[in-house]
Amino acid sequence: MEFLGDVIEDAFAFLGNSGGQLAEVLLLTLIVAGVATAIGVAIGVPFGIWLGLGRFRGRAFLWTLVNVGMAIPPVLVGLLVLLLLWSDGPLGSLGILFTPAAMVIVQVALATPIAAGVTAGAVASLSPDAREQLDALHLAPVRRGRVVAREIWPGVTAAVAAAFGRVVSEVGAVLIVGGNILGETRVLTTAIVQETRQARFGAALALGFVLLVIAFTVNGTLTWLQFRERGIG
Amino acid sequence: MAERRFEDLRWPVDDPIVDIPELSVELGERLIIFGPNGAGKTTLLRLIAAIEGEGGTPYASYLPQRPYLFRGTCRANLYLGLDNADRTKADDLAERLGVGDRLPDQARTLSSGERMRLSIARTLAVDSPLVLLDEPLAPLDLRDREVVASVIVDALEGRTGIIVTHDRDTAAMLGDRLAVMIDGKILQIGPVSEVLATPSDDTVAEIVGVSNVVDGRVLARRGALVEVEWGEHRFYALGDHSAGTPVKVLFGGEAVGVHTGDLEGSSLRNRFRGVVTEVRETGRLAEVVIDCGSPVVALITPGSLDTLNINEGSEVQVSVKATAARAVAVGGGA
Repeated sequence: MEFLGDVIEDAFAFLGNSGGQLAEVLLLTLIVAGVATAIGVAIGVPFGIWLGLGRFRGRAFLWTLVNVGMAIPPVLVGLLVLLLLWSDGPLGSLGILFTPAAMVIVQVALATPIAAGVTAGAVASLSPDAREQLDALHLAPVRRGRVVAREIWPGVTAAVAAAFGRVVSEVGAVLIVGGNILGETRVLTTAIVQETRQARFGAALALGFVLLVIAFTVNGTLTWLQFRERGIG
Repeated sequence: MAERRFEDLRWPVDDPIVDIPELSVELGERLIIFGPNGAGKTTLLRLIAAIEGEGGTPYASYLPQRPYLFRGTCRANLYLGLDNADRTKADDLAERLGVGDRLPDQARTLSSGERMRLSIARTLAVDSPLVLLDEPLAPLDLRDREVVASVIVDALEGRTGIIVTHDRDTAAMLGDRLAVMIDGKILQIGPVSEVLATPSDDTVAEIVGVSNVVDGRVLARRGALVEVEWGEHRFYALGDHSAGTPVKVLFGGEAVGVHTGDLEGSSLRNRFRGVVTEVRETGRLAEVVIDCGSPVVALITPGSLDTLNINEGSEVQVSVKATAARAVAVGGGA
């Protein structure tokens, strides 16, 4: 018990003293996760709607790929992006390996299938009557997508929450392509790993607490949005 | 008259529910697709609306059998897919269909009848020359049906309508022509009153029954009855319409009595003199067509036919019990 008490005490001490360094890590975490979620949702939600509504050959295969994408280990995605961005790799000339841009790319790759899969699942739960009405209306594709997004609004917010949860809590992929460089690519999860490796458990716990606050704030906001009546218009 | 022709209406291709090589609709007419559940009527409309198969037209305005309203207000649903000009029209139609005051409300608060009326308003507001309606009056009570039917008839003026129903009243209120559909095929097509009165065979007769439909205008209300001007005759039927209302009067062939004697002094209000123009013994009952100014079909037993000893050219009197006849209002000037 004394050990845990010391860890908690250290954690509070870290929160009180870390100041600018913690703020820097927190800011980068929010920027990388926020941008990656936004891009992943912008691609994944429309794709999920298209996949959920579509009647075309190969749909089941495509849906399987999305499900695989949802379950793929982040370290593997990190490795693949690393190979692409390595100096001798196909996109090596971009020179963005071990930068926040690389972290965003890898997290977009993780967020997009989650957003698409959750959205497609919500679209699949639309009643046959709703689908028939959509067909009857002969709306232009973008308008049709907007009507569906608003109809399955709780599903869309769940997709955003799942995508954000996936990227903000992820450590393996960002560690591989970001390198956990202090002041440049260190985010909350990689910082927790760093502190734990060095047996600074109080600092690791404090960082974990901050991560928890972020998760609570973001998901609380999304849940509030989920329960709001969003209609067409 | 110009017509719109649909060819090879067949779906699904391998094991078709609908298999109609050709269907022609005259421009400006309202064609009723009439048949029992499972006949393929809805699939036919979906084919014509280009939701299934090929050969339909995506420009048709289509009201599904169970129209769906999305999250949001009634107004947002009413305006869905409509341009500004159509929205003005939709507002007017919603008003006439009795849902104008519900437009600011959430769509999910509407009753099934209100949902249908709002959806009808949207469907009719679309500026399309072809309107497809699947059971538009089904969730409405009889009084509402007449109002809605009247609005539909007015709104389809100059446009072509294809309307699915399995209800004879709806067919009489909305249709110019009627196609009887059974097992994915059209067995008979013709003017509504003609098809209802003279089914082409036993199969059709079993589905549509044998019904007479006569056009008239209400002269006065008499208690539970209305007195209808039918050519030179006066016809009494159940109804509560005000004087001047154009109506159709429906009565089954079995409600028609045929008499060779004199009916003077009888309590029967509906009695008309006529000449037998045709006698058909198609099944267990014989159909006797009597020209009373316009044709009336009576269903009588072969035994009665023998007793009456009538044939083509016989002068007879026809009676119809007023309580066995029902007046329904029709649009276009009501």
